[in-house]
Amino acid sequence: MISKGATWNSNSCRIKFARRFVSALLHMRNRNTRPGSLTIEGVRTHTQRIKIAAYLSMAQAVGSRRAWSRAVLSKHGSRARRHSRMGRSSVGLKKTRVIRSYPPGELGQAKKLRQLVPGGKTMDMCSLLEETAHYIKCLATQVKVMQTLADNFSK
Amino acid sequence: MNRALPEMSHCLNGPGKCTDMTVLERQRARVRWQQSYLGGSDFGGVFLETSQADQVGNFQDLVVGGSSCSVLDDVGTHSVKPDPGLENGWLELGRLELPNMGFGSGGSMNGSPTGLEMNSSISKTSSCPPTEAQSAPEAKDKVSVPAEKMSSAAGRDSSKKRKADKMQNTKVFAEDDAKYKRSKACAEEGESKITTEQARIKNNTSTPTTNNRETSADSSKENSKASEVQKPDYIHVRARRGQATDSHSLAERVRREKISERMKYLQDLVPGCNKITGKAGMLDEIINYVQSLQRQVEFLSMKLAAVNPRLDFNIDDLFAKETVPACSADFPTIGMSSEMTNPAYLQFNPVQQVAACCGFEMGLNSPDMALRRTLSTPVSLPEPYLDASCFTQLQPPPTWDADLQNLLNLEFHQERSISFPYQPFTGSIEASNLKMEI
Repeated sequence: MISKGATWNSNSCRIKFARRFVSALLHMRNRNTRPGSLTIEGVRTHTQRIKIAAYLSMAQAVGSRRAWSRAVLSKHGSRARRHSRMGRSSVGLKKTRVIRSYPPGELGQAKKLRQLVPGGKTMDMCSLLEETAHYIKCLATQVKVMQTLADNFSK
Repeated sequence: MNRALPEMSHCLNGPGKCTDMTVLERQRARVRWQQSYLGGSDFGGVFLETSQADQVGNFQDLVVGGSSCSVLDDVGTHSVKPDPGLENGWLELGRLELPNMGFGSGGSMNGSPTGLEMNSSISKTSSCPPTEAQSAPEAKDKVSVPAEKMSSAAGRDSSKKRKADKMQNTKVFAEDDAKYKRSKACAEEGESKITTEQARIKNNTSTPTTNNRETSADSSKENSKASEVQKPDYIHVRARRGQATDSHSLAERVRREKISERMKYLQDLVPGCNKITGKAGMLDEIINYVQSLQRQVEFLSMKLAAVNPRLDFNIDDLFAKETVPACSADFPTIGMSSEMTNPAYLQFNPVQQVAACCGFEMGLNSPDMALRRTLSTPVSLPEPYLDASCFTQLQPPPTWDADLQNLLNLEFHQERSISFPYQPFTGSIEASNLKMEI
């Protein structure tokens, strides 16, 4: 379950993510033609939007298979609800539940990890680690693609 | 010295205590009993034989999996695996056929009824070939307790409770949900168990409460910690030797093993974690890695944001290029704040007029090109988070593809690409600081 088909998985993941991300970037660029983008605020906003687009694209590429992708999708877009096949609209509700007491006896690191991994607040340690592994893989892919894009754009 | 398992007594409708049952009879009874339970329930009992010799009682584990036949396939494949493992650890023990009752596919049940200790293997299969059972009888004198091996073979934890001297212990059968990785993990655990008599005795004496230990030859009690389950949702666990067997600790152990398994996988994923052992350190590393990746994403999105709105991409060449030489110097790492970096970039964008960079016209087809390039050049992820030492060195990441390097003709590019990964978060600040000074 965890370790199967890592290479194939990352390739298809990467391709899907790249496609979505680039189209999102294009969309944003076409939309964002005002000159105000040179201001600090403009750049920051643009940065944020690109960042969100990156995470969203990755989550969409992963689909609803993973808890963290579901969490990202539900947090960030109404588009997510359309795409989400699992009907996990309750994820948002779950987040409000206090789960500090839920996982017993873990160190503060687990808490921190939960904050880092989307949707990690409501998971037990076991699934948290699993989601973290998949999340790390996808993040690494994301970084690679973005890096290559940035390199190419800046040539 | 005969004991009867309570389960046996149930199913046999016979003697509550097998007083004079011979080994053969017991075997047969077991087989019959197991067959009656085929396909449905799990049999959580263990029956031990009194060893007539003065050896330490070995016992057989019989695991009868009540799982569906689909499990058989898994077990069949799994059963092959533990055999070599079994051989290793249990040199002195013969292979028993009897326990094959557990393995429906007649797999790794080891039983060589040779009068030596018998290993019993556990499996989830539900069928027990009667023939083997019958052949087993002569081996019944001693039963060994290779529980772990077996269970590991089958992919389950095995518990050994050993009785001192000639007693038997009861065992808990564990049934896994046919996860391959579990069998692997169990195999590793199993091999570490000791099988010497001394060890057994010691363990026997040390086993906690739920063990029934009898030193007298008269009666035997079996704790059958049967995790009976009609449905496959339950996770059957076998308590390990010398450990508590109540359901809570078993569940705890399963949970712990799952967690450690995942930690191992994470260790492979996160670079540079090979030396770190221990959960806390690993968690720290993981957290750092995730944070660094997220910061990289932010940094790259900032870069893309600076690049994106400009329709003529000649210029965007980058502030990155300018910052490269700046970044290459050593800087004390500072926490990054986007506010600081933005003004820096903004200042220098107009200032840096391109320069040497070969900016090419990025028309609308650029995204396609970029995409194509992205897809065709597998970029290996540099390891920026790795350490502060990376910041001070500009070693080309060994993982960069040759293709990618072709793309990056200019030294500038190379430096930039190299340095950026190392300093995704701090580079921007340092660069901005430098620029301001300049």
